[in-house]
This record gives sequence, structure tokens and C-alpha cells, in this order.
Amino acid sequence: MSDHDPGRHASTQVDDGRRRLLKAIGLGSGLAVVSGGALLSTPAQALRTSARIVIVGAGAAGVAAANRLARALDGARITIIDSRQRHLYQPGLTLVATGIWKPSKVIDSNARYLPRSIDWLQDSVAEFDPEASRVLTASGRSVDYDYLLVTTGLKVDYDAVAGMHPDLIGREGIACVYDTPEHAERSWSMIDEYVGSGGVGLFTRGPGGIKCAGAPLKVAMLTEDLARERGSRQSLQMVYNSPGDGLFSQPDMDQFLKREFPDRGIRINWHHRLIGIEPELRRASFATPEGTQRIDYDFIHVVPPMRAPDALARSPLAWQDGPFAADGDWLEVDQFSMQHRRYPNVFGAGDCVGTPIGKTAASVKAQVPVAVNNLIDALRDREMKASYNGYTSCPLITGRGRGILVEFDYALNMVPSFPFINPYREHWVPWVMKDRMLLPAYNAMLRGRI
Amino acid sequence: MAFSLFGIIAVVLEFLRPLLPLIIALLAADIVITGWLWASKRRSWQRGRHAALWLGGLVAALAFFLAPWLTSASFSDFSGVLDWGSVLAGSITAGLLAALLSWPLTTLAFGKRSGA
Ligand SMILES: Cc1cc2nc3c(=O)[nH]c(=O)nc-3n(C[C@H](O)[C@H](O)[C@H](O)COP(=O)(O)OP(=O)(O)OC[C@H]3O[C@@H](n4cnc5c(N)ncnc54)[C@H](O)[C@@H]3O)c2cc1C
Repeated sequence: MSDHDPGRHASTQVDDGRRRLLKAIGLGSGLAVVSGGALLSTPAQALRTSARIVIVGAGAAGVAAANRLARALDGARITIIDSRQRHLYQPGLTLVATGIWKPSKVIDSNARYLPRSIDWLQDSVAEFDPEASRVLTASGRSVDYDYLLVTTGLKVDYDAVAGMHPDLIGREGIACVYDTPEHAERSWSMIDEYVGSGGVGLFTRGPGGIKCAGAPLKVAMLTEDLARERGSRQSLQMVYNSPGDGLFSQPDMDQFLKREFPDRGIRINWHHRLIGIEPELRRASFATPEGTQRIDYDFIHVVPPMRAPDALARSPLAWQDGPFAADGDWLEVDQFSMQHRRYPNVFGAGDCVGTPIGKTAASVKAQVPVAVNNLIDALRDREMKASYNGYTSCPLITGRGRGILVEFDYALNMVPSFPFINPYREHWVPWVMKDRMLLPAYNAMLRGRI
Repeated sequence: MAFSLFGIIAVVLEFLRPLLPLIIALLAADIVITGWLWASKRRSWQRGRHAALWLGGLVAALAFFLAPWLTSASFSDFSGVLDWGSVLAGSITAGLLAALLSWPLTTLAFGKRSGA
């Protein structure tokens, strides 16, 4: 059974008359007006179409794409599928887990951001069938599409760490900044306790592509900073366990951190991949080149590996072989156009895509316009021109009140948005951006304004 | 990553969104008072300006000294021209805005012409 009218074929026709009229009155690139607190822009180049577009996942990428598509298309039947009602501002979780923000600050609702003109199917996709251009939902519904945008985010793979379960977060010295405000809040209670009581603190990081690779580093540095502030630093033996031989993918930042951590008395264990924990014994197991090593701890920050959500991972849409399949069965897209490499009517954006770098909200901001513009060009049967350069960013918070604004691309070159902010030096301004400006910027992105 | 002018406006509006009712109320009050002052001609804008500038100066000084506290930081986190320049520019902007917004009000309160 299909929920969509199979007779509705994608017919596209640019609304030229309206576009010419708007151009004539000088509104070609969109009109912004302030009205009752909302910034409205007129769809100056709305494309008339009856295409059925399905977006899977209403997170940062899905909501931003829905707003952009709803404005750019006239007559399209856009459906977004996600069972989750609340919207989480995940970049704020680091601040929640370190006691700087209250959890309520990162919880919002999708209904506030989704455009009224689209259908929101509150369900989750259980199966992707790209051969038939159809998805099947957990409740048994079948939804046909002409174009599909996959924005499912990723899955934190707790099962990959033997003995680990999300329920353990907030008990037995176990913290994990990832996934939800509840986890972050319980992590804060563990960090708070550890800074007070001292002992051995293990900080870990899952191997491969993880979302916001800076977050595990920030948790370590903010914990150290807090202990210094409270005068308990001497009683903490902090050890950062890297699964490889680096701390950060961008080489300048990697060098900085390799100096910074030892300077702050944070020991680094290289090639230590967390494979298991024994919560009652407070003992962690690491795979190392010398074999399994067990280390006792008083506090541990568990960062499991991450992978594509199950429905995507086992679908034909995932990379079938190569590094992105081995790492996490990520969505197979062309790293520049964000179009699927085998199914041309499928596009992707956000944490789920298999690209060399990314998995930040900053990447979402850069990827979504590319995916949307190329989808619209495909709809028009035109050459796709938009290209994603790998832009990603991380305000690397080194302590409460200071940080470094790191922005780079596929070539791992620094690409600062604000030339006056030195990307190699700690400043107060990047901290203010993280603490005050990134949430408004994120919300503007959700509305498809930036 | 470049930000367009509309993009920057959108972020500023999102930043101000929780304060928008207050800002709109203040602007509306300013417009009404300004209209009344122009019509009545019984107040001296110059006297009002004096008080508004004092208030702006106070707000700028407060903004400067409270900026670290308001951002869960301290002056020891500041380094270089970027941070000091930003806090200075931010405080001066806050002071100017306070002076401008309060001008009609201070004119109403303190701008009575002698003999009027
Ligand atoms: C602790 C932490 C700190 C971070 N810090 C930063 C930072 O400082 N800067 C930065 O830029 N980024 C940061 N990020 C990363 C950023 O938050 C993510 O990259 C971004 O939210 C990804 O957006 P997304 O839309 O791809 O995924 P998400 O926002 O996770 O949304 C995915 C959505 O898909 C839905 N979904 C999943 N599977 C299905 C299915 N089968 N059917 C239907 N729906 C489905 C989910 O319910 C969810 O709503 C951080 C993240 C974390 C966790």
C-alpha cells in the first residue's frame, strides 16, 4: 500500500512569470522582512513541480532541508519521516555535561521549525527500497518518492563496548556526553563527583568517524579546567586514550593538542581503543598493539564508535565496500555533490553520509544547501553545480571562558569565516560564540536562513 | 564559510528572538514619546541628550566590566586585540544603543524648558 498518490508524476515547470515579476521589482534573490519576530523571505524562484520528495530524519539536516525545499518549490509534496518530536541542540551537550548549561537549554521541538506546507509522518523508516523508490516504515506504511533525502544522523554504538549500556551513564563513574541531554546531565554528576573525589580518570574516543570529534577532547579539557578552578587538580590523574596516533584530524590542531595535553598534565595513551568495561570493578579494557590492556579507573568518559542507523546500514544505500563501509556503513554519496553514487534520485546530508570529514552541525550548514540545490537541479534536469568542499568547524573549548575557532575543509586547510579570528590561538571570543551565538546560528540554519 | 548579509541578520534576529517583545515595546514607546515631544515643543532635546549620554556611558562601563561574568569567563581568559577590541566595541555599541533608546525618555523626564 502506498500513502502517496501513484498517479502524481513529477512534472516540473519553472514559474517564469512570477520570477520575472519579482525580478522586475528587485526581489530576485529573496526578500527579507522582519515581521512579528520572524524573518520571512519570498520564494522568488519557486519551482513549480508535483514531485514527491521524502526526507528521512528530522534532525539538524532534515529540518534545514525541509525549510529550504518548502521555500524553493511550489506544489511539491514533501514528506518528512521521523518519530522524534523533540529537537536536540546537540552541540550544547558538551556544555551540559560539564555543568555550564542546564539541559533545558538544548531541548526544543521539531514542530516549531518544520514548515506547515509539508507532511510530517511521525514514524521511522525500517527499510529503504531504492530500486522501487520507496521506503517502508516501522508501522508498516509504504511511502513512494521521486526524490529521497537521507538525513538520519548516526547511531552511537554502545554495544561495540562490551559491558557498556546507556543506563550505566551516571553510575559507577561512567560518563558519556553523546546522544541525549539526559546522558549529558548524568555525565555532569559523574564529572562533578570525580573532580571532588579525584583518582584515575580515563577519557576515551571511539575509532573512525564520530560526530564532533572535538567533543571528547573538550570534555577532558573542561574537566581539567574545573579541577584547577576548584583547587583539586593535584588529586586527579587524567589519561586520554586515543585509538590511533593522533588527537585531531586537522594537523595544526593535532600539534597544538599534543603539546597542550601534556602541558596540562593529561597523559596520552596512543593506540588505546576501548573495547570493554566492567562497571562494578571500575575496570576498562583497551585493544592495544601489545594486546588487551586493563586499566582501573575512578571515572571514565566512554565514547563508543558510531555508525549509520540500522535501517540505513543494512540497505543498498550504504557503501557496500571500502573504508566507509568498514567504518560504519555510511550512506554512499559523492563527497562533493551529496548525490548518491548509484541511485541518482537519492541525496544525503549530515552525520549519516560517508565523506572523508564532517559530522558536525557546521558541516550540515554547508552540506544542506548543496544537497538541496543539486536535488532541485536534478528535478529541473539541469547540470548540478553546487559542491561541498568538506567544510567543518569546531569551537575547540580549552577551558571555561576560552577556546579556538577551528574551521577546515577536505584538504585539512584552515578556512576561517572571520579572518580577524586567529585559528591558532586561544581567545575569549570563540568561547562567547560557542556559549552565546552558535545556538541562534543553529536555529537560523534550521529555518533555512543560513 | 562566508555569511551573507541576510544570514547575519537572521542570526542576530534569532539571538534577539527571546527579547523581541521587549525591544518592540521599547521602540513603540520611543516612537510615541518622540511624536508627543515634537508636537508639544515643551521639552529640550539637548537637556535630554545630556542625561541619555550619561546613561549610555554607565551602560557601556557596566557592559565592559560585566562581560566576562555574563559569559561565565574572567578577564584572565582575554588575550590580544581580538578579545579586548571585541569587549570594547561591544560595550560601546551597548552604550550607544542605550543612549539612543533612552533619549526620548530622558528628554521627557529631564528636558523641561525653563518657563515651560
Ligand atoms: C556532544 C556533541 C557535541 C557537538 N558539538 C558540536 C559543535 O561544537 N559544533 C558542531 O558544528 N557540531 C557539533 N556536534 C555535532 C552536531 O550536533 C551534529 O553533527 C548534527 O546534529 C547532525 O545533524 P543530523 O541531522 O545529521 O543528525 P541528527 O541531528 O542526529 O538527526 C537525525 C534524525 O534522524 C532521525 N532518524 C534516525 N533514524 C531514522 C529512521 N530510520 N527513520 C526516521 N528517522 C530517523 C533521528 O530520530 C533524528 O531526529 C556535536 C554533537 C554532539 C553529540
